[in-house]
Amino acid sequence: MLTSLSLKKRLLCFSFLLVFAPALLLAQRTTVKGTVKDESKNTPLAGVSVMLKGSGNQGAVTDDKGVFSLSVSHPNDTLIFSNVGYATQEIPVHNRQVINVLLMLSSSSLEDVVVVGYGTQKRKDITGAVVSVDKQRLENLPNSNFAQALQGALPGVSINASGGGAEGNSVSILVRGRKSVLASNAPLIVMDGIPYNGYLSDINPSDIASLEVLKDASAAAIYGSRAANGVFLITTKRGVAGKPVISYDGYAGIQEVSNLPPVLQGEDFYNFKLTRLGIGGFRPSELENYGQKNFTNWLDLATRKGSRVQHTLTARGGGNNFKYYASLAYMDVKGIALNDDFKRVSSRVNLEANLTSWLTYGTNTQLTFNDRSGEEATFSSVYTMNPLATVYDSNGNPTIYPIREELGVSNPLAPTLANSLNNSYKFQTTNYLQVKVPFIKGLSYRFNTGADYLGRTTNTYWGRNTATGYEKKGSLSQGRSIERNLVLENIVNYDRSFDKHTIGFTGLYGYEYRNSSTTSVNAEDFPDDVLTFYQASVAGFTKSSTSFEKETLLSQMARLNYSYDSRYLLTLTARRDGYSGFSEDHKFAFFPVAAVGWNITNEKFLSNIRHLDNLKLRLSYGSVGNQAITPYQTLAKLGGRHYVDNDRTAAGYIPISLSNPNLKWETSSQFNAGIDFAILNNRISGAIDYYDTKTHDLLLKRAISPVHGMDEVTQNIGKTSNKGFEFAVNSMNIKKKHFTWSTNLNFSLNRNKWVDVYGDGKNDTASKYFIGYPVGADFGYVYDGVYQLTDDTLKTPLGKVGAGYAKIRDVNGDNVINESDRTILGKIEPDFVWGMANTFKYKNLSLYIFVHGVQGREEPNSLMSDNNVSSDVRYTTVVKNWWTPTNPTNDFYANRIGATSGKTVPIIQNSSFIRLKDVLLSYDFSGNLLEKVKLSKLRVYVEGRNLATITKWKGLDPEFSSQTTIPLQKEFLVGISISL
Amino acid sequence: MKTLYIASLALCAILLGTACSKDILKEESPSSLTAEQLFKDKSGFEYALNGLHSQVRMYRAGQPSDPTNNLMCTQAVIGVDNGYGNYRVALIDVFNLYGNYYSPSFSHFDMVFEWLYQTINAANTIVNRAEKAEINWTEAEKNAIVAEARLIRAWCYRHLTYLWGDVPLTLTESSGTAIKTDWERTPVSEVRKTMEADLLFAEQYLPEVSASDIRLIKGAAQHYLAELYLATGEYDKAKTVATRVVANLNYRLVTARYGVNKNNPGTAFSDMFLSGNSKRSEGNTEALWVIQNEEQVIGGEANNIMRRSWVNRYETFKVGNNNISPFPVSEENGGRGIGRLAPTRWAMNLYAANDERGSDHIWRHYYILRDPTKIPTGTNPRTGVPYKLGDAVYLPTNTVEKHASTGNPAWPSTRKWDNTSKLDMSGAVQYNDQFLLRTAETYLVLAEANFRLGDLEGAADAINALRARAKASSVTAAQVTIDLILDERSRELFSEEDRRYALVRTRKLVERVKLYNKAAAPNITDRDTLLPIPQTVIDANLTKRMPQNSGW
Repeated sequence: MLTSLSLKKRLLCFSFLLVFAPALLLAQRTTVKGTVKDESKNTPLAGVSVMLKGSGNQGAVTDDKGVFSLSVSHPNDTLIFSNVGYATQEIPVHNRQVINVLLMLSSSSLEDVVVVGYGTQKRKDITGAVVSVDKQRLENLPNSNFAQALQGALPGVSINASGGGAEGNSVSILVRGRKSVLASNAPLIVMDGIPYNGYLSDINPSDIASLEVLKDASAAAIYGSRAANGVFLITTKRGVAGKPVISYDGYAGIQEVSNLPPVLQGEDFYNFKLTRLGIGGFRPSELENYGQKNFTNWLDLATRKGSRVQHTLTARGGGNNFKYYASLAYMDVKGIALNDDFKRVSSRVNLEANLTSWLTYGTNTQLTFNDRSGEEATFSSVYTMNPLATVYDSNGNPTIYPIREELGVSNPLAPTLANSLNNSYKFQTTNYLQVKVPFIKGLSYRFNTGADYLGRTTNTYWGRNTATGYEKKGSLSQGRSIERNLVLENIVNYDRSFDKHTIGFTGLYGYEYRNSSTTSVNAEDFPDDVLTFYQASVAGFTKSSTSFEKETLLSQMARLNYSYDSRYLLTLTARRDGYSGFSEDHKFAFFPVAAVGWNITNEKFLSNIRHLDNLKLRLSYGSVGNQAITPYQTLAKLGGRHYVDNDRTAAGYIPISLSNPNLKWETSSQFNAGIDFAILNNRISGAIDYYDTKTHDLLLKRAISPVHGMDEVTQNIGKTSNKGFEFAVNSMNIKKKHFTWSTNLNFSLNRNKWVDVYGDGKNDTASKYFIGYPVGADFGYVYDGVYQLTDDTLKTPLGKVGAGYAKIRDVNGDNVINESDRTILGKIEPDFVWGMANTFKYKNLSLYIFVHGVQGREEPNSLMSDNNVSSDVRYTTVVKNWWTPTNPTNDFYANRIGATSGKTVPIIQNSSFIRLKDVLLSYDFSGNLLEKVKLSKLRVYVEGRNLATITKWKGLDPEFSSQTTIPLQKEFLVGISISL
Repeated sequence: MKTLYIASLALCAILLGTACSKDILKEESPSSLTAEQLFKDKSGFEYALNGLHSQVRMYRAGQPSDPTNNLMCTQAVIGVDNGYGNYRVALIDVFNLYGNYYSPSFSHFDMVFEWLYQTINAANTIVNRAEKAEINWTEAEKNAIVAEARLIRAWCYRHLTYLWGDVPLTLTESSGTAIKTDWERTPVSEVRKTMEADLLFAEQYLPEVSASDIRLIKGAAQHYLAELYLATGEYDKAKTVATRVVANLNYRLVTARYGVNKNNPGTAFSDMFLSGNSKRSEGNTEALWVIQNEEQVIGGEANNIMRRSWVNRYETFKVGNNNISPFPVSEENGGRGIGRLAPTRWAMNLYAANDERGSDHIWRHYYILRDPTKIPTGTNPRTGVPYKLGDAVYLPTNTVEKHASTGNPAWPSTRKWDNTSKLDMSGAVQYNDQFLLRTAETYLVLAEANFRLGDLEGAADAINALRARAKASSVTAAQVTIDLILDERSRELFSEEDRRYALVRTRKLVERVKLYNKAAAPNITDRDTLLPIPQTVIDANLTKRMPQNSGW
């Protein structure tokens, strides 16, 4: 504790010192002027940054004629010229007053500056596994959030949607496999240097300038306790000095359903039910509808042709001491599910000002308004809704009870009648002060703050025209939630070069506080429906509740980068984090990492080898943590079990969770070995990585004997392992004057397994933790075909069955099917996943095609069961190849109750797929035409998303974890981008 | 300038000196409650008792996996001689078909098992902490609270032992630092010794009567103690303790009309089941343990689905040549039911004509035509003339129970649980107060004890006390057999008692199911006397094999 306090003291005092320190006058100055031009076209370049080397931020920017002017204090100073897409040049002044520069398009990404957390590094100096997302994935594509953009685009990053929908937020992001079980597997997202909490859809993807993923310990360890699942670093767009650039980007398009499972409709459903129950099983209303051939296809009614519109207006510019970027965007998505609407208005202002020669202030501020009002049709029941039910009453309104005899079945379209208001406002601001410390060259201090506020309101009223409202005489629910987050960071940086030695040091002392509170009111029994959710005060019965949660983190971090002659690189990182959610004695944990890199191509012995432009070896080993559990898990909590005495509430409580005074961090030890390469004049470049991660002290909600009075407890137990291989290559396949073809390919495979559960080498069947098998593996009985007419059905391991009954594999061969015949099912972890982008350019025309795939995965298909029809066949089901005496198949058992002998028999299917995710055709106008209309950029484009999927899976979608959710949408867009 | 540096240094030293990182990271949860916070005074213990009562009430509610359909107490009332499942759904299949369906993986068994141990842990927490805590209370106040918790604990072990036989015995509050993976099944005899101690304590310290409807009373403890002695074969003690209840005028049988329906047609027996008549404060002297519900009161909505489970789907009952369903869901017809639980034909045929327990106030054998637009065509067999408005349409009496894929709506049902929500007449849940235990059951415990002791006169007297109240003819000592006692239990306590337990205790389950329950008769075997230990319990016992009951 002492060390942390004193470090904190020192850093804070230091900041005071700096604030009060007087500005120092600089020595005598001279002015250097010049013009910067494009090397190939010999045209002036505007917006090129010209910096004085070693000065931090001091610099200038070229104007639209490519001219810059900068005062230097020393004739031996060096100027750095950099511009996006061009190779950076360093030019010593040598007493000159005019310096003209030609910048070359950068063929290599090695000089690219990469955001690495608490700073930036050139790619060639990085020792860790860091991937940057191709900017193509973030522009002109129908992404509601950035995760959709990354799907299949990065090696080692797996993004899976659990379902469809307008907002598209139901995605899970996994970096290098599933390490944790209870703790979140989601990566840490850091936006503009501040950890981001909140919905992915609160970030407008078009505001993102760059997105880096830190995958190994070396890269991620600076975020210590939260880095085990990788770190996403999002940097939003900055101002660029030069004349203002005002841009508009807009698109509009339609969405339609890409695929639906084949659900039994009308006549087929009638026959299914007839076979299963006989004519006596039908309700009178079903027979009436059948008699009149009044069939309903609920899927048709619950889906629609959707649309998507987005308008984005941005302005960027600035001068020597002030840069700005501002954006305003509006998005309106009408999803393919009836009433599934999502609207977003977002704005952002990013400013940076050099207040004095030694003090820089910056702010990145975002405001987002999301409107999710409107309840979509209940998709989970649309797939099974009875085709002989009645959708509309005689007035054309959705029926309250579509099967009038079944009060338990409500109309899946009923939510479209609910009055719904669902809004959120998010305010996020990050502000920093950067101080170049006088007297000590290369030392700077940064005070970073982040504050965000999310307020969400959900009001729903179910009137008497819905089953919910009818039964309760009106039902209302209101929720208000507020989430607040505060981050304060003191960062010290020291960067110096001595001869061939380069040293970089970063030190951090940080504090993070988050709290959330929710207030909700549920009320029922209203005089009428007129005032909808504004009438809680006249409710017959009101229930309200309030909850509160907070968590706190304290962090210290130090990182040392050392390089010798740009050949040998060393990174040492250590982070110590304290988290409030852990027990008294285990609040703090320490995460050290070491990494080395070797730029082999900088060695003299390789300098004569042509066509080898880059070869770098990277090795790292270290540990990172995972604290991603909700707070208060160390406490033994009581839960409300209230009773009543006559007409008065009698508050009651019983124990509902067990304490864990030893709860602590989950720790992953990660080894990474990587090679970066570039050959043939950088036409082919890429990276290969191998990793081996062992996670121990897993935070687990372990199943315990119900004899304890509860069936689970959160503990640190078990070990998992993830090993994998990743490969990414960028290739310029064809490079002609007017035609280019380039390919980006990424490939990754991960092998995940339980190494140990309780330290005794034994499985935990109750929790479904099986050593040697992946986390989350499916477990159950094995479907083994169908008993045929020729089989002896009187004496089977299942006892007496009938022909057409499902066979269950007698796994242990004891001739009886019981619990010990359950086994691991399917193959939850794919053999490999891949993504490939091909870009073809002919003159100004560009075609971008993105495909991604998952290979070698097998999962239970929840649709392959007849149980969901319920015993009275109230619901329909998906078409199957049912066994009948004349169709002696093994595909699916007979359509009869009890055909699985009372057991759950999942049917496993191959869920591999290849998906044509994006096809984008764009045309950039150039030359005279642009000048005539006085535009710097004019692009028109058409885009198609999810155009085709190849799979053997028979269901809604092989990617979705739920097969009864909103379907995947196909989208077609046309758009335009204009810059003044 | 230098002064400024020093001043700023001093300032930040002061600012930082006051905060310590340990405090910053302290875990505080203002919106949730811990045991340390609750068990600080007497009212905290009373809150904990309320929690226990709420747990007990779940016995007649839906269990968590399907709360509107899966009644927690299903296993005690169907798959027995007087009750069967009139529907095809997993929970019904189990008790009609037994066999493969009656499996350790069946989730309902988990739910019941876990609910009971959750309640036991809550009771243990009260019992343990009452000893440890420094509370400002009198010894008598403390003992009354502990007695209530111990009665409920014994009540839970009663369910566990009758359902599963040997079960793990735990008497201490569970702790996260002492997770056990080597539970053992304690022999029933030992578990019963603990139950005896709990019940003796409860008998000693619970009040005979209480001004509060929420507090438990001595009679309940005595009843379960007497029943326990039947199970352990200590018939003398059973007789002694049961006699204390029966002889106590505070607990006397209701023999006269009373309460909310006093002046309308009815019987003394049927009055007790009406909403407004169940509690002792409402004039019901026979009530030994009542669970309370109340609509639109927090803590009152307990998802009680007794009526939903027992009342049949009469709205689908088809009548006449035109095959119409003339009986809408209505209060007169008992509210909405899904008829998953039903009496066997035998159970309905047990009553002599004059036995008020078999009357139309307790049983629903007919429905009345009230809707002029829905009059069946054809002859009403009861009147011999065409159906007309106001006719009673009787349910057929010549059918037998069978395991049917859609339930049989043409089947009578009990009216003991009739009650409808004031908000939604068709609603699933009901909100009336209900007996968990009444003195009549103690009479039958006494009859069984007397019979086992060879005192057939005493047994007949106990039975005749109930028969007299129901205006049924007396039985003679010579007629008394264990089967007669079981028959009498069914007449008196149909759908109230834990039928399976009485049959298991008297070793009559399989025999009588084969005789009287046509749906389950072909399927039940000796194995099925006990439930299988839930697989989750066996799987979670990582370091010691927990033996399954025989036959699985």
